Amino acid sequence: MIPLAAKTGTVTIRYPYQGPLITDSFRGAIEIDSNKCVGCGACTRICPPKALMLTTEGNTMTLKYFVGRCIFCGMCADTCPEKAIRITKEFELATGNIFDLYTDIEHEIKACSMCGKTFISKKLSNKIALKVPDMPQETMDLCPDCRRKETLKRFMGVPE
Amino acid sequence: MTQPLSEETNSKGVDLKKTLSRIKRSVWVFHINTGSCNGCDIEILDVLTPYFDVERFGIKLVASPRHADLALLTGPITIKTFSKVYRALSAMPRPRFVLAIGSCAVGGNIWFESYSTIGGFPKALEMFSEMGLEIDGVIYVPGCPARPEAIIYGAATLLGLQKPKTVYRRFKA
Repeated sequence: MIPLAAKTGTVTIRYPYQGPLITDSFRGAIEIDSNKCVGCGACTRICPPKALMLTTEGNTMTLKYFVGRCIFCGMCADTCPEKAIRITKEFELATGNIFDLYTDIEHEIKACSMCGKTFISKKLSNKIALKVPDMPQETMDLCPDCRRKETLKRFMGVPE
Repeated sequence: MTQPLSEETNSKGVDLKKTLSRIKRSVWVFHINTGSCNGCDIEILDVLTPYFDVERFGIKLVASPRHADLALLTGPITIKTFSKVYRALSAMPRPRFVLAIGSCAVGGNIWFESYSTIGGFPKALEMFSEMGLEIDGVIYVPGCPARPEAIIYGAATLLGLQKPKTVYRRFKA
């Protein structure tokens, strides 16, 4: 045993003084580019532990990222249509305060012009308007429910 | 969202520096598995054995919570283990510290709203304070599993050797 140990030598990684082993495929915490994010919520639907969540409070919609629940799978970065999510190599995330582990991205929200219900972020609405130029502005301002009713009215005539 | 607390104090406003100054010698750790998948436990093993050799810093694993200063807690704290966690932590002498390792212990991971788990250490901490068990300091180490380096980093954060990098951020899109 001793000759074997003498042959192997010291294996200890002197971590704080020696850099950590980080390979190209290593995935750490994600970083969300707030300029690119449109608030579509694709990442919140694919996130297995719901580390990414969309919450609506009044006139703002918040995309909440909680690193403490993240499993670093990178599914959000794959699914993001705007490529706003980047996987960093950051893993030294330890902190004494649980609120330090949150990252919030605020979105302005758009209300339906008929019923007043909030349904979509302004940024996403603008993005759709750019991609689908034929869509009339009146339809864009309606929530899905009201849009359905309006379309029905157009085809069936105004109900008595 | 409540306002973030200052770095120097814990949730009860106890001065962490003052409490830490009471630990004069090496930190002895006790390992509690509260329904973890064993991923984090293997990483803890990596930290304790010669590969990362945390005994360089005087951190040593002990077999009884009565000898420990710091509890290495892994897992989302299932309902079944909650009473055992309470008993183990209350057996630890003051000042007692907890290193919540892995995303299960920090935020409950995919079990955060499950019927059979408490859903992470922050929720258990609230219940402990109701039950009269005081914990002097908690450090959260995210990761699934937490890397051995991340655990060493967490221990260094607890001992006040460096300031935590992660801060609460809020952006406008």
